[in-house]
Amino acid sequence: MISTPTVRVLYIDDEENNLQAFRASFRRQYEIYTAISAAEGLLILQNVDIHVIIADQKMPNTTGVEFFKGVVKTHPDPIRILLTGYTDIEALADAINHGDVYRYITKPWNDLELHNSIKNAYDAYKGRMDLRNKMTELEKTNDELNRFIYSISHELRAPLVSVIGIINLVKMEGLYDSSGEYWGLIETCSNKLDYYIQKTLQYYKNTKDVPDHSEINFGLIIQELIDLHTYSDKDTKFNVVINQNVKFISDAFRIEVILSNLISNAIKYQKTNEPNKTVNIEVDVNEHKASININDNGMGILKEHLEKIFMQFFKGKMHHGSGLGLFIVKEALDKINGTINVSSNIEDGTTFKITIPNAK
Amino acid sequence: MPNKTGKVLLIDDNDIDLKINYKIINLSGFFQEIILCQSGSEGIDYINKNLDEPNSWPDFILLDIQMPEMDGFEFLEIYKNFPRPFLDHCRLAILSSTLDFGDIKKAEANPLVIKLLKKPLYPNELQELLNKHSMLLGI
Repeated sequence: MISTPTVRVLYIDDEENNLQAFRASFRRQYEIYTAISAAEGLLILQNVDIHVIIADQKMPNTTGVEFFKGVVKTHPDPIRILLTGYTDIEALADAINHGDVYRYITKPWNDLELHNSIKNAYDAYKGRMDLRNKMTELEKTNDELNRFIYSISHELRAPLVSVIGIINLVKMEGLYDSSGEYWGLIETCSNKLDYYIQKTLQYYKNTKDVPDHSEINFGLIIQELIDLHTYSDKDTKFNVVINQNVKFISDAFRIEVILSNLISNAIKYQKTNEPNKTVNIEVDVNEHKASININDNGMGILKEHLEKIFMQFFKGKMHHGSGLGLFIVKEALDKINGTINVSSNIEDGTTFKITIPNAK
Repeated sequence: MPNKTGKVLLIDDNDIDLKINYKIINLSGFFQEIILCQSGSEGIDYINKNLDEPNSWPDFILLDIQMPEMDGFEFLEIYKNFPRPFLDHCRLAILSSTLDFGDIKKAEANPLVIKLLKKPLYPNELQELLNKHSMLLGI
């Protein structure tokens, strides 16, 4: 046997005859509540979980439309049906356009028509509830995922960072070469793992977070990133020219991710035998956008690779990238409506041109 | 250039990291005395116990963020209420492996935090920071 859900219907009308007729027609199909006035209807609404409200338009103290307008804030969930004569079409159109009324039925009602309307109204109610439950579920899943990512960034990375700390100690105590190449291999692997964790978090955070709007000082960010990335390798010379006289608003995290990956690449992919390793960074900021050029005299990118470098896990054959850096750059730019172009050749090196709209 | 007169207080719940950072600071010789605390409340207790003895005040604190019970930010909430002379004497940096943008922003926004150092601790990075603040540190 299929059990049909209990649909609770509240009918408000100042004419007792109508209430009785309604009860007689529908008491078998629905759980019926009736009220002789708007005030009494409100009282029921406060105590019973009603799915569908039907109200007469013409009542002594208030109209059905006004009643609906009042309850829509306190009881937004029940679906509202108006019962009316042909006379007050204007008030009706207004109510429907404002979303206060789901449907209207003309008086005297036709049982079948009203029955169908209640059925449809209940379906709408159920759809609304399903959607809300799904939203709650989704928020919960999202929260869990966030906690999971947060714990990866701490619990998973913390011991790895301890390992790298121990390797540093081994170096400081002059033991690095004491076991052949083993310490060096451990160091390479640890750094690689750390790099993957960092990129994965960057990627995840980029996909998930809504862009934030903070003030960006390109001079400051770029200097910090250069300091960070040249810490272990000071061979590369940076020429930085910043023209920023206006306020620039954009997403701080994503801009940092974009610039960080490009600056790190510019250092990583230098020619080993180049005596003047150089990176030029130019930033021009105006009311509408920031234009950024990052140019290096590094090893360049093969022409046939240029189209693929922004694809996930694409790696050049000779070099040990992760295939994630430029992919993340592109993804982050997409989120803040930026663009990127690249030109490169093996002789002169590579130039990335980026534009990012000013979100102010 | 910092010399060996100062005291540094390390606060970290992870005893391996505490050992590593003890050794790194010890080998670098930046401080004469290294005080180890395994929790935020242990750190607070140490400072409280020595409040009347300026000679025992740490000159520098390295504070972890992620710790059970009292985390680094909770530590800072209590720490900021120590008397002004103490806060003027002692400098504090965060030493954490966090990559969480929220944590990083929060740490940088705290006026009592002179810098967020990322684990692993590199002697030259610490030295640079100490040089920058050597006047304030009085070491």
